[in-house]
Amino acid sequence: VEESVLNIGKFNSMVSLAAFFPFKSAQAALENMNAISEGKRGFLLSVVHADLKLFLETNLPLSGKKKPVLGVSDAKIGAALQEEFTISIQTGGVVAEIGRGLRLHFHSLVKGLTGQAASKAQLGLGHSYSRAKVKFNVNRVDNMIIQSIALLDQLDKDINTFSMRVREWYGYHFPELIKIVSDNSMYCRLAQLIGNRKELSEESLESLEEVVMDHAKAQAILDASRSSMGMDISPIDLINIERFSDRVVSLAAYRLELQEYLRSKMSQVAPNLAALIGEVVGARLISHAGSLTNLAKYPASTVQILGAEKALFRALKTRGNTPKYGLIFHSTFIGRAAAKNKGRISRYLANKCTIASRIDCFSVVFTEVPTSVFGDKLRGQVEERLSFYETGEVPRKNVDVMKEAVKEATGVAAEIKRKLEKKEKKRKKREKKLQELEENGDANGDDEVENGEADTPVVKKKKKQAAEEMEVQAEENGAEETPGKKKKKRKAEEVQEEEAAVTDNGAEDTPAKKKKKKKTEAAEAEEEAPETPVTEKKKKKKKKEAEN
Amino acid sequence: MKEETGKEVKESSTYPVADSTNKTESFIISSNPSGVFISRGKEDALVTKNMVVGESVYGEKRISVEEGETKIEYRAWNPFRSKLAAAILGGVDQIHIKPGAKVMYLGAASGTTVSHVSDIVGPEGLVYAVEFSHRSGRDLLNVAKKRTNIIPIIEDARHPHKYRMLVGMVDVIFADVAQPDQTRIVALNAHNFLKNGGHFVISIKANCIDSTAAPEAVFASEVKKMSSENMKPQEQLTLEPYERDHAVVVGVYSLLPDIMVRSTWAQLFRMESVWQRSPLKRVLKE
Repeated sequence: VEESVLNIGKFNSMVSLAAFFPFKSAQAALENMNAISEGKRGFLLSVVHADLKLFLETNLPLSGKKKPVLGVSDAKIGAALQEEFTISIQTGGVVAEIGRGLRLHFHSLVKGLTGQAASKAQLGLGHSYSRAKVKFNVNRVDNMIIQSIALLDQLDKDINTFSMRVREWYGYHFPELIKIVSDNSMYCRLAQLIGNRKELSEESLESLEEVVMDHAKAQAILDASRSSMGMDISPIDLINIERFSDRVVSLAAYRLELQEYLRSKMSQVAPNLAALIGEVVGARLISHAGSLTNLAKYPASTVQILGAEKALFRALKTRGNTPKYGLIFHSTFIGRAAAKNKGRISRYLANKCTIASRIDCFSVVFTEVPTSVFGDKLRGQVEERLSFYETGEVPRKNVDVMKEAVKEATGVAAEIKRKLEKKEKKRKKREKKLQELEENGDANGDDEVENGEADTPVVKKKKKQAAEEMEVQAEENGAEETPGKKKKKRKAEEVQEEEAAVTDNGAEDTPAKKKKKKKTEAAEAEEEAPETPVTEKKKKKKKKEAEN
Repeated sequence: MKEETGKEVKESSTYPVADSTNKTESFIISSNPSGVFISRGKEDALVTKNMVVGESVYGEKRISVEEGETKIEYRAWNPFRSKLAAAILGGVDQIHIKPGAKVMYLGAASGTTVSHVSDIVGPEGLVYAVEFSHRSGRDLLNVAKKRTNIIPIIEDARHPHKYRMLVGMVDVIFADVAQPDQTRIVALNAHNFLKNGGHFVISIKANCIDSTAAPEAVFASEVKKMSSENMKPQEQLTLEPYERDHAVVVGVYSLLPDIMVRSTWAQLFRMESVWQRSPLKRVLKE
């Protein structure tokens, strides 16, 4: 068998090419590939892509006396095809052999396709597939969270180091200030403000008080400045110190901004986790686990001692007591529990954390919008349990709480969806105006599929899209994503629209949209650029529909 | 260097090129497959010819050599970082990766060794680099951008059917995946993509397969697993000075007809007589 496979002549005698269907475009090829690899999880609902179905329908003699046997190399597709068509499918064994032979002699069987062309096609498809995979992860914003929390920690360390440096430096000139003011950022601001201590006078008392917020302290500073034993300092040195303390102050301000950013990101990515244990602790958990998915996969016992691995393994090896809490310790609940209940609360909290992280990670597929309803309910439960330990009042049953939560969640989700739809309609109207002013040529060739889907703005089936392009498609079709992401993409599209048609309407758009502007990732913008023709086409289609 | 002593070095063509500044010469050793060179000078190094002149992939040293009119650039190949280089320097007989070959590289990581393989196979060959990790995958994509004979596949090598659209038949499979079921992974990929008579080169990390057993036992058990999957091991050597408890196994892949396959084919084409003849024996003898 394998010899005949090796020899092209013999193989040809056994196998003849019935039909060959090249993919229409790189995009179609990518879709098909994703259909195969992702299967039911992908944007496409089944393993069998529409192209494949079409190909088989046109080329298989389905009706008639001789029922053919279709050899399929992939068992999953085989099963799916068996359901679709009524022919008998065979997989494995011989089919695998034939498959190998086909692969080997592919370019000689199909006319017009040389080995070179095949490898080029493979290269292109491989790149786009891999890029889609990697980019998919880049868009999973839990990366941002991991990076921000790491940056936050680093910033803290650095700000502290620099503040120490400012203290030392300025302390040569005004040593008493170090003892009076203990807060780092306050000290830096004072150093900026005071400058040369000899110039302090009664007028500056007011501004001092502003910074220190304490009249007595301000007075003490004033007195100390007069009788200070620090050495004199030249204006140039002073300028340098001021510049440095300037930097430190701005770093501290940046740190606050970063915290805000982290907060907003957490509420987008993992709102339930953030509602339950707070943004910082939640972000730390995610970063320690590596990603939100990893955190969701861990059992609750792992989440409980995440961060205390050293103590855990030491205890395991020496048969001692294992730690009761890891990173979770820093949430407020553990601190509030009495000493003997800390372990119990920690375990309970870890259980709820696991639930919350799983909801965040996986339920975005089914509920289009992430809400923090579950997180709040879970938090309520932990509070109740805490109070139970203190006072003895019996907490509510878990079943009841969850029922409430589900009801609320669907209600909130519907609300948000309605709002988003309204925004969509407004945007479409605006675009319509833009397009009318643009008067671009009509190019609506192969948008039939998207057209059909666009008719149903409330498309509930939101699956995690493998390809960036399909993400945009899905959005255009009304399927929902996180509102933040959607606005981001809309912003990017708006930017392109501006580039395409600079009109008054376009200018009107940007100020309104600017408020919702979030950091557009460079990669996303890159991807958006080649998609402009595609998205533009779809917008026109939508406009046409809206008119009809 | 180990491979110099006691080996029949058939120098089919030598390029004793002297670079005036640091007196490096490089010449082809044909016991190693062509495409891999050794540069002599202050320090000897294993080098490959750089396909993308002027660029270092991972910060390795580049050596520029004048050859008459043209300048050829070579990149140093670090055997401590790359198992394939360690195998070559350790004296493996054949790595089967030669110019124009199609190679499937499982476990491509960030593309450091893949870039050298791409240098060896040259513009006519192809390297299908499979890597599952996304972070490494990003680096791999960057390497693949510059070198058009690398096809990056960010996918789990355990499911070759997922990327079967991207891969044709290959001549060599190189596997450096460091997974306990790596033999099964290589076998799956070989069944799908490795041509008959193709070769495989597998790097085995004893710790990874079974950290409690002795490394020799682990290697032996892996070799046994391979033989049961139509993969015939031909060489095995340890990567001793460069890596600890690592081994490289080189072998050939040839299909023995399955009994089930036989009978199905026979039913389909009524060629039962084929099996009584010698093709089977021929295959076994090799």
